[in-house]
Amino acid sequence: MVFVSLLLAGIALGADPTPAADPNATDPLWMVGVKAFLVIFGLLTAFAYMTLIERRLLARIQIRQGPNRVGPDGLLQPLADAIKSIFKEDLVVARADKVVFVLAPMISVTFAVLTFGLIPFGPKDAFFGYDPWVINLDVGLLYVFAVSEMAIYGIFLAGWASNSKYSLLGSLRSSASLISYELALGISLLAPVVLVGSLNLQNIVNWQHENGWLILYMLPAFAIFLLTSMAEAARTPFDLPEAEQELVGGYSTEYSSIKWALFQMAEYIHLITAAALIPTLFLGGWRMPGFMEQLPVIGGLFALPYVWMFAKIALFLFFFIWVRGTLFRLRYDQLMVFSWGRLFPLALAWFMVAALVVAYKLPVAILGWLSLLSLVAFSVYVILTSKPKPRALPRMGAGD
Amino acid sequence: MSAGFWEILALLVLVGTGIAVVRLQNAVHAALALIANFLVVAGVYVALEARFVAMVQIIVYAGAIVVLFLFVIMLLSAASANVGADFLPRLPWVAGLGALALAGVLTFAVTRFQPPAGAPALGGGLPQALGPLLYDPEKWLYALLVVGFLLLVATVAAVVLIEPERIIAATGHPAHPRQEKKPNPPIAEQKDERAVVKR
Repeated sequence: MVFVSLLLAGIALGADPTPAADPNATDPLWMVGVKAFLVIFGLLTAFAYMTLIERRLLARIQIRQGPNRVGPDGLLQPLADAIKSIFKEDLVVARADKVVFVLAPMISVTFAVLTFGLIPFGPKDAFFGYDPWVINLDVGLLYVFAVSEMAIYGIFLAGWASNSKYSLLGSLRSSASLISYELALGISLLAPVVLVGSLNLQNIVNWQHENGWLILYMLPAFAIFLLTSMAEAARTPFDLPEAEQELVGGYSTEYSSIKWALFQMAEYIHLITAAALIPTLFLGGWRMPGFMEQLPVIGGLFALPYVWMFAKIALFLFFFIWVRGTLFRLRYDQLMVFSWGRLFPLALAWFMVAALVVAYKLPVAILGWLSLLSLVAFSVYVILTSKPKPRALPRMGAGD
Repeated sequence: MSAGFWEILALLVLVGTGIAVVRLQNAVHAALALIANFLVVAGVYVALEARFVAMVQIIVYAGAIVVLFLFVIMLLSAASANVGADFLPRLPWVAGLGALALAGVLTFAVTRFQPPAGAPALGGGLPQALGPLLYDPEKWLYALLVVGFLLLVATVAAVVLIEPERIIAATGHPAHPRQEKKPNPPIAEQKDERAVVKR
């Protein structure tokens, strides 16, 4: 099943008939196929080791050891987990809708894998004479939205096909929250797109090389995009699908063995893709910080291809794990109010500000100052609204 | 105009999924076939180099609209609706005739189609080419505004339908006079109650 979905994804990635924005920039089809395979293989490996890194880091945050028995420092743990989940009994619920039940995890993984090929990892011809990206779409960001919207169906159909009330409730909840956050995510990206004037990821990276990183101009959009992409990957403040107290296992309650692993895989691949998209859009992509290029020795020394991109991805993955170790889960109504009542209007307001600046050809630096102002305003808001620490509360037992 | 392998394949898949949408007994399966149909239509757009339209087709139709369909189907548990009586017994025939007529008109249009001379090239349907046309006051700006206003009206109407209590609270007179239920407390109050109970 893994192979079928991977094959589908590979075909979809490799045989994409869309020509690149620059007609003489296309690679031969076999090379695109090789790169698509590499991307998928890399994503699967990254997924396996993300589970290990996440468990070890969480353990460190919670002052315990984490998995360290299988291999040196637990390095073979992902392998053991994979073997375990493959050889577990693969249950199909008797009253389930069998076709959709089997189809749902495949849909999840397929649409999770599809986005990563867009992300540029270096300048043109940096991959042994070929381009270090799989496809270069002139409507790149729209493609990202399209694929992430289609990814909802996996969760949705899994819950319905299981024919169990926990699954159905879990899938309704998580798909409702996904749809809500999709909206804020899309609108938060409109502001950078309007400023850059292109939907192509490489144009966005090049614009940042010439004008400075977009996070400097677009801090609110960056913050909203960061939060919403965490919600899209169902990470901890927003991880309703895993609200065990209320929903058992959410949409994947009835899934076991490799099918369950496929859902996990899709979730982590979404996370890795988000961790690659955020730096591409807001932190200069594969390029090093602009001031370092000016330095005499260091500029030449650190101009390694790929390294900066991988470093940025690792930074955001660490951030996601850190957040998971620190924050607790939001309640369902809080989750919805946060998306519709806070993020969505904020994203819309910031988009209008950016559109005004672009339409009236005001200097772009205004957006930078407004970003700084919004940071200050947010800090003041947090300081003013945070409650004083309660003193002398009676101890009610561990946890709440 | 010669039809190659891919054209014929696309045609077969489109017609097949279309028939599946109509004929499948299970509404969720029909919705899945509809998604497949929309994805193939998007693929046809890509082949025609209308990439923007293709992406919008996926985002709006295959994404948003079918998700709404599925929500309705699941919340009403109407996946395998069996109402017993067939209220519109002649509907298949009428719909079939309508489909045949539509197919005839479309065939006629496609075979006789001549692109108007001097039509603007839309650059592969890219947003950079579409945007200025769409927001040009001499072209389609007002049509766009009217459509947007229509959607706003529909949204307001939906809010009025689902939350009569808030309308009463805000305006002082009921939108639906017959409902005299005690309104649910807003979410903010519920939260406060819970906090008090806990302490």
